[in-house]
Amino acid sequence: MLSRAARPALRAGAAVSSRAAAPTATFATLREIEGRLKSIRNIEKITNTMKIVASTKLTRAQRAMADSRKYGETSNKVFESAETKPLEGEGKKKLLVVCSSDKGLCGGVHSGLSRYIRRRSHEDPNFDLVILGEKCRSQLQRTNAKNIVLNFAGVGKDVPTFAEAQAIADQIVQLPGDYSDIEIVYNRFINATSYEPDVITAFNEDAIAASPNFAAFEVDEELLSNLREYTLANSLYWALSEGHACEISARRNAMDNASKNAGEMINKYQILFNRTRQAVITGELVEIITGATASEDM
Amino acid sequence: MNSLRIARAALRARPAAIRAPLQRRGYAEAVSDKIKLSLSLPHQSIYKSQDAVQVNIPAVSGEMGVLANHVPSIEQLKPGVVEVIEESGSKRFFLSGGFAVVQPNSALSINAVEGYPLEDFSPEAVRAQIAEAQKVANGSGSEQDIAEAKIELEVLESIQAHLK
Repeated sequence: MLSRAARPALRAGAAVSSRAAAPTATFATLREIEGRLKSIRNIEKITNTMKIVASTKLTRAQRAMADSRKYGETSNKVFESAETKPLEGEGKKKLLVVCSSDKGLCGGVHSGLSRYIRRRSHEDPNFDLVILGEKCRSQLQRTNAKNIVLNFAGVGKDVPTFAEAQAIADQIVQLPGDYSDIEIVYNRFINATSYEPDVITAFNEDAIAASPNFAAFEVDEELLSNLREYTLANSLYWALSEGHACEISARRNAMDNASKNAGEMINKYQILFNRTRQAVITGELVEIITGATASEDM
Repeated sequence: MNSLRIARAALRARPAAIRAPLQRRGYAEAVSDKIKLSLSLPHQSIYKSQDAVQVNIPAVSGEMGVLANHVPSIEQLKPGVVEVIEESGSKRFFLSGGFAVVQPNSALSINAVEGYPLEDFSPEAVRAQIAEAQKVANGSGSEQDIAEAKIELEVLESIQAHLK
């Protein structure tokens, strides 16, 4: 946001220096520079506050992420040991669930996910989309509008709760389409400065039942659909909290950079302001002295 | 000692070894009379692959105790008390339902939506809520309200039964 706001300011600044030669314009320029300085200071204040807010939220989000990751891993361990794989072939559609959120100003968190989906749609466009969060919806609406079957707004305002994940999972289960499996696309948290789009797969009942080592487990067949819904909610919860932590940490970084850039601009404008003021004073002095010497000579 | 360490590393690297049972006798057997329990809730992990002697879980198909080397199985849990017996004593948690999976390598993972130690519940609060839920269940609310109240009652009565 800052860079966008700063660009016209810079362009205007370039125009100012060329105009500075005309004495009538000088006073206006000084005031203009002053006004610009003030607005950049305000921007810095805002971004700085947003950074502090994000920093305080970050610890909570990261703790929630660590717990939810453990929870999701525990829940998906059964598929790991059963070596469950998505059912291949049959031309069935996949369902991709994109975990973004409603808020921007957080670097490339949302566009990273959208780019991942676009890349997938170049490779194999045979999928439907469920989108959590307004940001990715508006981005994907332009390219993949026909794939979108369901979208949720109001996700990711705060640290996600399990009840939210359950409600979303319930809606997804009720979708009429017959999908081979569900892939949850989210931002995986690598460290405080990096994240990347990743996928958690939630299998359907047939895929679970057909997994190679599934025979080793003693299980009631009727439980499978319950298990599937429950693990879907678990995976969603995991993806939502991890995505949330990524978003907050990305916002912190973005705001940190914005504040730094604003600080640099303030310095630059302060120097420009001082120089211009000096030039104006010198100009006035020259005028007075020339006037005085001219009238002395007469 | 060195060869033992290598053998252990090999076993750890290949969890599949358990499926072809007891090809390699020795050190691993002595360790595996414990079950590795992971008990996790969405907001907290109570156990992270910690050793336990026995875990009693309230499965839908009936209460069951899980010891080491239990046959792999997947069980749905009903609201009830999970009892974890460790060497230092036993702990009881009330879970609101979830899934328990006994993994082939003597590991038990339990996922539940909510869970708290049993001693944290207050009997008075439970009694008061039961009365409230009964009122709704017998009242003339919408069908959904009554169904919700009945589920609430089931959970609460189960807590009450265990608190006594």
